[in-house]
Amino acid sequence: MTSYQRVMLALEGKQPDRVPVVLYPRYNALKYAHHTFQEALEDPEKYVSAQLSAQRRFQYDSVHDYNMMGPIEEAMGRPAGFKLKYVRDDAPMVEASAKIKASVDLGRLKVKVDPHVDGLCPRVLWVVKQLKLRTMEKGEPNVPVITWGSCPSRTAAVLMGYDQWFMLLIRNPELAVEFMELCLGPWLDMVVSEVEAGADVVWVNDPVSSADCISRAHYEKYTQPYEKKFIAAIRDRTGVPVIFHPCGNWHDRLDLVAQNGADALFPGTMDFSLVYERTMGVANVKALNGGVGSARPNTVDLKGTTLAEDATTLLNGSPDEVEREAKRAIKIGTQKGAGFLLGGNCFPPLDVPLINLDAMVYSARKYGRYPISL
Amino acid sequence: MLNEELLQSVSEQIVAYDADKLVESVKKALEQGIPSYEIVLAMSRGMQVVGQKFEDKEYFLPDLLMAADAMKTAMDVLGPHIATAKVASAGRVLIGTVEGDIHDIGKNIVVIFLKSAGFEVFDLGTDVPVARFIEEARTVDPDILGLSGLMSTSMPVMGEVLEALKREGLRDRMKVMLGGAPVTDEFARRVGADAASNEALSGIRTMEKWMKEKP
Repeated sequence: MTSYQRVMLALEGKQPDRVPVVLYPRYNALKYAHHTFQEALEDPEKYVSAQLSAQRRFQYDSVHDYNMMGPIEEAMGRPAGFKLKYVRDDAPMVEASAKIKASVDLGRLKVKVDPHVDGLCPRVLWVVKQLKLRTMEKGEPNVPVITWGSCPSRTAAVLMGYDQWFMLLIRNPELAVEFMELCLGPWLDMVVSEVEAGADVVWVNDPVSSADCISRAHYEKYTQPYEKKFIAAIRDRTGVPVIFHPCGNWHDRLDLVAQNGADALFPGTMDFSLVYERTMGVANVKALNGGVGSARPNTVDLKGTTLAEDATTLLNGSPDEVEREAKRAIKIGTQKGAGFLLGGNCFPPLDVPLINLDAMVYSARKYGRYPISL
Repeated sequence: MLNEELLQSVSEQIVAYDADKLVESVKKALEQGIPSYEIVLAMSRGMQVVGQKFEDKEYFLPDLLMAADAMKTAMDVLGPHIATAKVASAGRVLIGTVEGDIHDIGKNIVVIFLKSAGFEVFDLGTDVPVARFIEEARTVDPDILGLSGLMSTSMPVMGEVLEALKREGLRDRMKVMLGGAPVTDEFARRVGADAASNEALSGIRTMEKWMKEKP
C-alpha cells in the first residue's frame, strides 16, 4: 500500500495496512537537508527537495508545503500597513500590524487577492505543484501532498495583532464578525488554488479560539461559525479531506469542535483519550491525527487546564519515550476501528532530534499494523 | 463619596474593565486629595482579582487585556502625580523576548501581572539582542531578568544571554527566569538559569518567593 492510499483511507475512517505517520515536518525536513527556512523561502526548490528527500529517508507518509507563511495576510494587509519580517530559521513573522479600529479601516485591506499573482502566494502554489509532480509514480500518487489554510479568526488576529483582536471581541464584536467575513474569501481562493496545484489534503488551524485564549461563549458565538463556514466551503469547492488543528487547550469545547465539519482532528496539547471520547464519530469526524506529546489525563488539573508535561516529548524525549507514547496513542486512536494517523501535537520544532522521527515511524510499523490488539 | 468607597470603586472598575468610569473615579480621587500611590494600589488590587478570575477560567485573554488597557489609560491620567508617589516596589524586573523571536503575548501577560503585583518592570519588547540585555542589565540593575521565547529556536539564545551575563560578571547580581512554551526546568538548569515557567502566574509566584528570600 502506498503512503497516499494509507493516509486517504485513514482520513475516511478506514483501516489501511498500518497506521500512517503524518507529523508536519516543516522544520525537520529543512534541518535534514541543511537549509535554513530563509534559504528555502528564497529558493523554493530547496524547500521541495528537502521535503522529498526527508520523506524518502524517514518514510513517514506525507509531504507538506511551506504552511503558515502568511501569504494571504501579506497580500491583504500590505495596503493597511501590515508587514512581515523574514527571519533565518522560521516562517516570516509579523513586524507591523494593520490598524483596524472601525469598519472603515477594513476598506484599506485588499480583499480581491489573486493567488497566482499576489505576494508569496505563487511561490506556495509552485511548491505544491512540484511536490505533487515529484511524488507521482507510474501516473499514480505515491505520497499525499498536504497543504494549509488559515481560519478567518486566525487571519484577522494576525492582521491586526493578537492583543487588539482579543480586545475587539469585547469592544466591537460586530466589527470582529465583519472582519472575519472579509478574511474568509481570500484564503478560500488560496486553498482552492492549492488543491488545483495538486494538494490532496488541506489542514486548517485556529490558535486564537482555545480555552487558553477566549471563553467558550465567545468561541461559539463569534469564531466557530467562521471555522464551520471555511471548512464547509473548502469541502464544497474542492472535495478534499480537511484536517482541523485546534491549537492549545480546547477541553471545555471539544463537543463544539467536533461539529466543525472536519474529517479529522489534529489536537494540540490535550488529553488524547478525552479528545477521542468527545469527538470521534461525532458529525463528520472520522479520524484523529497526533498523539505523541499530547497531555495525559493526570496532566490536566481540576479546572481543565492542560499542564502537558509531555508536550515536548519529540523535542526532549528519548526514542524510547517517543515509542512508548506512540504505542499509547495508537491504542487510543485505533479503538473501535476509527481512522488514525500517528503524529505530534504541533509542528515538531527545529531542534527535534531526527532519531525521534525514526522512532515515530518505527513505532507505527511495530504497533500499528492492522488488525491491532494492544 | 468617602475615600475608601472611592478606592473600592477604582478596584471594581478595573475588574469591570470600564476605562471611562475608572478615569472618572481616578480624577475624583485626585481631587479629593487621595495620594496617587493609594490609587495605584487600589488598581493593583483590582488586577489581582482579574488575575484570580483568569486563573479560575472565569476571565480569558480578552478580559485580561481589557483590564490592563483600562489600567494603562488611568495611569496616563495619574502620570503627572505618580512621580512623587511612594509606592513600595516589590522588585525590579528586566524582561524581553530574545533575539529572533517576536512573540509577545505571553511576555505581555507576565508584564501585566508583574505590574499589578507591584514590581517595577523594564520591558525591552521583542527580538532583543544579547548585547542589549547586557547593556540594560548594567543600567537597570534588576533583581530578576526574564527571558521569554515561544520558539524552540529561541532556546539557544537564552543560553547565550546567560553566558554573556557570566562573562560580564553580572550573573550573580540577579535571578534569571526563562518563560515560554518550549522551556523546561531541566533546560533552565542546563543553561544556568534559576527557573523556567510555561505559565504566567506560577512564574510570578516564583519571583515573589525569590524577593521574599532576598537578604
